[in-house]
Amino acid sequence: MLARRLLVAIIAAVVTIGLWPGGTTQAADMAQGSQGASGYFSNSDTLPGSYKLYIQTGIGGGLWGLGPNRGPVKRSSFNMDPHSEVRDYNDARDCKGCHLEEARDMHTVRMGITCRQCHVSLPIAGVHQYYSPMNPIRRHAYVCAKCHEGATPSFAGFVIHEPTVLDAIAEEDFPLLYYAVWFMLILAGGVFVIFLPYTGLLLIREYAARLFGRSNNG
Amino acid sequence: MADTTKRLIRFTPIQRLWHLGLIFIFILMTVTGFAWMYVETHWGQTLASWFGGIKETVEIHKIAGLVLLAGFVLHILYALCRVDWSKFPGSLYSPDLLMMGIRDFGKMIQHMGWTIGLCKAPRFERWAWWEKFDYWAVWWGFTITGITGLMLYNPVLTSDYMPGWMLNLALWIHRIEAVLAIGHVFTIHFLMAHMRPGTVPFNGAMFDGTITMSEARHDHPEWVARLEKNGELEAMSVPEPSVPLRVLYFGVGYIIMAFAVTLLAFAVINITAVTLL
Repeated sequence: MLARRLLVAIIAAVVTIGLWPGGTTQAADMAQGSQGASGYFSNSDTLPGSYKLYIQTGIGGGLWGLGPNRGPVKRSSFNMDPHSEVRDYNDARDCKGCHLEEARDMHTVRMGITCRQCHVSLPIAGVHQYYSPMNPIRRHAYVCAKCHEGATPSFAGFVIHEPTVLDAIAEEDFPLLYYAVWFMLILAGGVFVIFLPYTGLLLIREYAARLFGRSNNG
Repeated sequence: MADTTKRLIRFTPIQRLWHLGLIFIFILMTVTGFAWMYVETHWGQTLASWFGGIKETVEIHKIAGLVLLAGFVLHILYALCRVDWSKFPGSLYSPDLLMMGIRDFGKMIQHMGWTIGLCKAPRFERWAWWEKFDYWAVWWGFTITGITGLMLYNPVLTSDYMPGWMLNLALWIHRIEAVLAIGHVFTIHFLMAHMRPGTVPFNGAMFDGTITMSEARHDHPEWVARLEKNGELEAMSVPEPSVPLRVLYFGVGYIIMAFAVTLLAFAVINITAVTLL
């Protein structure tokens, strides 16, 4: 009898707990801020120090200033219509006519995304212009999230238009990328520079040893 | 058994299985990785079309990467089980294990000297230094491509834990390390494993698990001497594998090698067409 009551009590407890999680999860979510969030910002965006994501120039994003955006910033990137001073400009012109280097990025080259799919406004506002969809305040929500669901300001910190990684410009603009790529290239190059000739010499030596009847061991 | 027909056990079935799995997953990663890297070329698009398009190819690359990492974790557990922990740390340097020690670096220098005629060739134990190097290179490669690959697996999630621009670094490091691994395996590893006088035209040791006694005496004299001294040589000796098995791994092996070298050749031919390099 006691065992039966105990069993009923356990089942009741399990059912109660099973029914409860809706409330518990909601409470946990509220505590994490996800229920209360606008959908544009995650909780981590409101932590101390996260404001740095929105500072627009010359901060070089963390890691002892080795991050991106160290280089000079064009004054025109703060304008509502940076093309207004460009002679013979019209909105139908091919962007690559002037911005060929900017079109050498993964979105354009590999995914076939056009410039206007991200630089959406007309006139095309400078990326640092306060109301621009490209402004770091809202870029993640207005631009990145169109394809990358749940994009955050941190995610939008991915550098789409990378400097040419081995150039001196990259050393100035994104030092960590510049040093990392050089390190990896020296590492990879070093392996081939040492081991390819070594392998060739080894094969020649071993075949020669066999052909001329000399012992491999001396 | 006569010395000419006797063979010495070199790899256990499970070690051969690791290698076989690695071959197939590495080739799959290479094809899908090259398809993505060369997607702007006709060749890259052809590779992607094998998997139904570039989106599907990248998905397969990601899943294959996870399988590879899972295999790597299992292999680490296996390697830890192979260590005799009662005699740790000395047991790490057992000649049957692949741990590199100071002696290996000495033999590496000596062997390099021998290739240019400066000194005598070193006498190797069970593993020559380049065999140990090849083994640890896989650890090194998987660690680097694995970490960066996991970062790139879900970039939105990753950027919750680090600045988004770390993905720029991850992409480049992943790409260069992968090209290094592919280049190394498809040139240096193939040449060293299959084209040396004792092994040409095909080294079946990783497939039937054995090498000829004469090759063992020539390339690993200290290993054979140790087995003879301990009276283990006869127990480690087996007859030649069956002809159908040899034909099978010779045929499949050469198809895979030819395919791999062709991939590398196409990658080199098309390299100038890749905008992002």
